[in-house]
Amino acid sequence: MKQFIVRRVGYSLLSLFLLSVTIFLFVRVTGDPTTLLVEPGASPEDIENMRQQFGLDRPIWVQYWLFATSFVTGDLGQSFYYRTPVLELYFQRLPNSLQLAAVAMVLSLLIGIPSGILAAVRVGGFWDSAGKTFSLLGLSLPQFWVGLVLILFFSVYLGWLPSSGSGGILHLLMPAFTLGWYFAAAHMRLTRSSMLEVLDSEYVKLARLKGLPEALVIGKHALKNALIPVITLAGINLVVMINVAVVVETVFAWPGIGRLLYEGITFRDFPVVQCVVVLGGSMIIVVNLLVDILYAYIDPRIRLES
Amino acid sequence: MTARSSGTTRRSVLVLSAAAMTGIAARAAGAAPQDELRVASHVSLAPTWFDPAETPGIITPFMLLYAMHDAVMKGMPGNPMAPCLAESCTMAPDGLSYTLALRRGVRFHNGEEMTAEDVKFSLERYRGAASKSLKERVARVDIHEPHRLTIHLHNPWPDFLTYYAGATGAGWIVPKKYVEQVGEDGFKKAPIGAGPYRFVSFTPGVELVLEAFEGYWRKKPAIRRLIFKVIPDEATRLAALQRKEVDIAYSIRGELAGELLRTPGLSLNPAVSSAPFWLYFPEQWDPQSPWHDRRVRQATSLALDRETINQALTMGHSRLTGSVFPENFEFYWPPPKPAYDPDAARKLLAEAGHQRGFDAGEYYCDASYANIGEVVLNNLREVGIRVKLRPLERAAFFKAYAEKKLKNIVQGASGAMGNCATRAEAFVAKGGVYAYGSYPDIDALFAEQAVQTDRAKRTAILHKLQQLVQEKAIYAPIWQLAFLSGVGPRVGQSGFGLIDGFAYTAPYEDLTLKGQG
Repeated sequence: MKQFIVRRVGYSLLSLFLLSVTIFLFVRVTGDPTTLLVEPGASPEDIENMRQQFGLDRPIWVQYWLFATSFVTGDLGQSFYYRTPVLELYFQRLPNSLQLAAVAMVLSLLIGIPSGILAAVRVGGFWDSAGKTFSLLGLSLPQFWVGLVLILFFSVYLGWLPSSGSGGILHLLMPAFTLGWYFAAAHMRLTRSSMLEVLDSEYVKLARLKGLPEALVIGKHALKNALIPVITLAGINLVVMINVAVVVETVFAWPGIGRLLYEGITFRDFPVVQCVVVLGGSMIIVVNLLVDILYAYIDPRIRLES
Repeated sequence: MTARSSGTTRRSVLVLSAAAMTGIAARAAGAAPQDELRVASHVSLAPTWFDPAETPGIITPFMLLYAMHDAVMKGMPGNPMAPCLAESCTMAPDGLSYTLALRRGVRFHNGEEMTAEDVKFSLERYRGAASKSLKERVARVDIHEPHRLTIHLHNPWPDFLTYYAGATGAGWIVPKKYVEQVGEDGFKKAPIGAGPYRFVSFTPGVELVLEAFEGYWRKKPAIRRLIFKVIPDEATRLAALQRKEVDIAYSIRGELAGELLRTPGLSLNPAVSSAPFWLYFPEQWDPQSPWHDRRVRQATSLALDRETINQALTMGHSRLTGSVFPENFEFYWPPPKPAYDPDAARKLLAEAGHQRGFDAGEYYCDASYANIGEVVLNNLREVGIRVKLRPLERAAFFKAYAEKKLKNIVQGASGAMGNCATRAEAFVAKGGVYAYGSYPDIDALFAEQAVQTDRAKRTAILHKLQQLVQEKAIYAPIWQLAFLSGVGPRVGQSGFGLIDGFAYTAPYEDLTLKGQG
């Protein structure tokens, strides 16, 4: 087990290194940020001065070395746009993203799991079709469109909800629903397919033959096992919701990490983009690592095979 | 337990529900208090904008500087360089120094009096986009008495005031003692200035709260509290304005501007910025290129239906122009009004040997203004100039433009501050960052004006230079873009358009809500 964990941690560190190199190079091929921080017409000396301030005049490998060594000491640099340490910015926005992601996740599970169960139990029937339509819409309707329609209906016409910003539960409802619907669709589809597989298994058939009530068969015997992949997916989705809810946070002016990333990309704010991507990626790597270890702990075949 | 048995009826439940919904709706409406003005900003506010020392070369930070700080001289209604913290500024006859007489009794938000020490400190501390250009030319600053100082230059520099009091934050004054006491980071977290509004709080990505500074020297602001809320999406900003969650919403364009006009109680306030847009012909110096022929360039200009473009994209509020120099710039020469005459354009093309028109290749533009390019393309096609739209992402576009990699037609623009000489330096004169070539007569005039300290003579030279730019059809100018913003029903004086060429609402001390003076 110890060897398994050491190997997995090694893979995770390698993934993190590759991620940091990729994002470091990727943001730099998108263009020079100084061109966005001055009006066209600024003198070349002033533009060069700005490049020096940001350290962009140094060779790329020197820039990466400085980035990597600072990262190890917990310093992810200073935002070009905000002139503030990016970690400070990240942690200022994190509570808002956690709040939005938590509510969106609860909504997505509350919608996705019951509708997935219903679709699996009534396979081919009305509820199955309704569930499929619902999930198709959730996955295919663009979030900016859903967000704007909600704003128009609930804010402008009905006047029930604030159009944007943060502050209270009312501010959360529309962005959380918009974000949650997309993921609810994914959770619904996975719950449905997982339930169909489990409902067809021998032990469920046995439970039915024993004359257990259908609700008990589904609720106790089938659902427990069917939910394992859904919970795993939900864990990964939660990290995605926290870090890359770019569209929802922009449409609803929600001050989270997704919007920070959007601002970082818009202004070529390399340190901000690097910080969000590396920290978001780290979260996913850690979640995957924990899941791998947990699986290996539960099922010895996994650690023996690997 | 049923509803009836607990003493409640279905009706009372409904009444309670309705009351709750009304409460929710009222809370959700979040209308501003009577003495508070809420502004929806289209961009995220950066703490670096609270500090005049760090102004980059863009106009946006001045949206906040006008509220929190004050300058020795700055653009004000009716005067692009109005004396503010300085009562006067006198240039020495040799052009080597400028003496400032400061206003007495001006106080910063912490109660300290502003003195010459603060002015000197602010100039020396400035490290913004144009710091190099400025500091290389400033030799030293001498303080004669608490309210009088002289700035010495190495050589005569006619554009000193343009840089010091216009294009940079060097002339915006911060309190020396306070900055030294709290440090650079501390200053950005709790800035103190001499402007009409003092800093209260800032939540990154959310809002900035300011409160009226009653001791402001010019006048006491009419509105007690200003809140800048960041709402990046244009449609959401409009929704917030329609719901009266904000009183002013910056940047509402195109169809959304039309929707705004259809909403009772809202008004659209255009502010014509100092940002002319143009078509540039980078290959005009290549004898093999069709653009080498002045008639082809003139035909291009004649083919542009500027009025229709203006109506379609900015509701007719942009200022059509025949110049790449902004109208509000010092030394501006007003060119003839640009004409729309497709027949004349076709005739000129025929004379130039393009009876059937020609394939002109790609039309490069900043993707965020590709909507202008789409209309222009149709205009050009009507006279036989066939081009393909090639929008580039903003940074990539300006990089390629500056590196002189673009060909055929370039749709350019600039909102850089300065005067006609600084604009010519970048876009017309030899070696200019965005000049792909130049003409000897224009270069000679440019060199001549750079050392001319007699204002009248310099004006004449720069007028001649602009005339030549127009005659040679180096550019086909389109318009000075109007920045469209929405104003809600509570606002009395919105401040839009009061300062020529300034896109945002200002001066803040002049803003009023209805029912106020």
